[in-house]
Amino acid sequence: MSLRSPAPRSGKPTRLHSAVFQPIGDEGRAALVERRIAEAIMGGVLAAGERLPAETELAAAFGVAPATAREALLALRERGLIVTRRGRNGGSFIADSADPVRFATRALVDSSRVTLRDAAQHYQAITAACVELAARRADPGEIEMIIARLDRVDDHDLAHWRRASDDAVIELAALSQSARLTREQMRLQGEFSPLLALIDTDPTARADARAHLRAVLAAVADGDPTASVQALRASMRFTVDWLIAYREQHAALPALAPVGPGTGP
Amino acid sequence: MSIHPAPPASRTAADHPVELVTEYFGRALDALDDWRGRLAVEIATARADAPLTTDRLDALVEPSALALFDQLDLPVYGSGFIAALDSLADANSHLAWWQGPERAQLVLAAQSVNKEHIDYSELEWYRVPFQTGRPHVAGPYVDYLCSDEYTITVAAPVHVDDEFVGAVALDLLIDQVERHLTPQLAAFGDDISIVNGVGRVLLSTSPARETGDTIRGDDLAGFERFACAGMALDVLIAR
Repeated sequence: MSLRSPAPRSGKPTRLHSAVFQPIGDEGRAALVERRIAEAIMGGVLAAGERLPAETELAAAFGVAPATAREALLALRERGLIVTRRGRNGGSFIADSADPVRFATRALVDSSRVTLRDAAQHYQAITAACVELAARRADPGEIEMIIARLDRVDDHDLAHWRRASDDAVIELAALSQSARLTREQMRLQGEFSPLLALIDTDPTARADARAHLRAVLAAVADGDPTASVQALRASMRFTVDWLIAYREQHAALPALAPVGPGTGP
Repeated sequence: MSIHPAPPASRTAADHPVELVTEYFGRALDALDDWRGRLAVEIATARADAPLTTDRLDALVEPSALALFDQLDLPVYGSGFIAALDSLADANSHLAWWQGPERAQLVLAAQSVNKEHIDYSELEWYRVPFQTGRPHVAGPYVDYLCSDEYTITVAAPVHVDDEFVGAVALDLLIDQVERHLTPQLAAFGDDISIVNGVGRVLLSTSPARETGDTIRGDDLAGFERFACAGMALDVLIAR
């Protein structure tokens, strides 16, 4: 059997939300900086109107030269994802037209059903492994803390709700006590979060998704690995069915006009 | 099962596994206890001049944080100071933290981008020193904020005039602790495990007991339990 090396141990966290502005290493450079920020904008991690750090701060955060950061910002500007304002309150801002729901809808419509289902199988395989281990290993008090945090979230604030739900899944994954599975869950959560945010826009579906997440947490708190995995499968069935129905509804969507000057993503 | 008090600690060759474990993690607790006293004075002095900012705090913490890597006979993976929430002039939360083989400073997006609140108030390495006012050995846990690895964090609260201003801390990776401690524990010849406050196995001389599993309830009947003084760790020796 061949073992692939785990994520780098070079002190570079890959956590979903914080992963965006981490040092990027030498091989990265402008294109990687550009892609990292573009993905964060299209995924809704960086919201319209949000101000990016100054060029020098950005360069320091990514661990690249200021000229590299400048090149990445220029490319993002040409794609219409950011705008630059001059003056005292100037700087680079996420473009108002950068709507993550629109990007996610486009990505969903453009992907085939087989690709979507395959991605969901991968997500389910990793999450099920995490949930099963967590059910065996977690102290009920640790799950109660995750539930208590979810209870405090105002679910009318969609961005806050999405972030809290993603965090809850990652915290649950970490209770597997497996660093590898947790890192993989974080990567997959980053990939899926924009699609899950589509579900959040439908109030009924959002309530259903929330009930599914709670059912998984409850089964893990009960220390029942079988019930936990069953609850997770039910949750994934709901998610995939909803996304495929949404995809069919929007299949006739005309191609997106470019978000701004340039050729678009 | 019976709970025995720990035999008196000794700095020389340990007579009992619980002494070995208590001495091992005690090195981290002692170093942090020393540092938190010094840092409290430095923070109080700095605050007397002007409100404390993240940059000024980083400058105060960095020399001692980096020194800790070499000063201790422990595989220190990360070291630094976690500021009390809402205690700094320019950010809601801040980790002045150095880690990894390159001892690079940790930069979290939420700190560098929009100064957004990172809520670490419920994480064990912050919550327990804050609530109890005492040093704490936290974990093992998957640290998805800093190391991204299976980690133990030893943390000690820092107080300025009875005000909690944050915690000094260091990370040890279980991978390295296992390499260090398992052979030394195995030398005692018994089936020995170290477990934390919720019964989670940190490491064991028995390959049958997995790190990360929990030993609790009826399973405990097969062990004699020895508490490590001053930390929420127990040594379990199979009967």
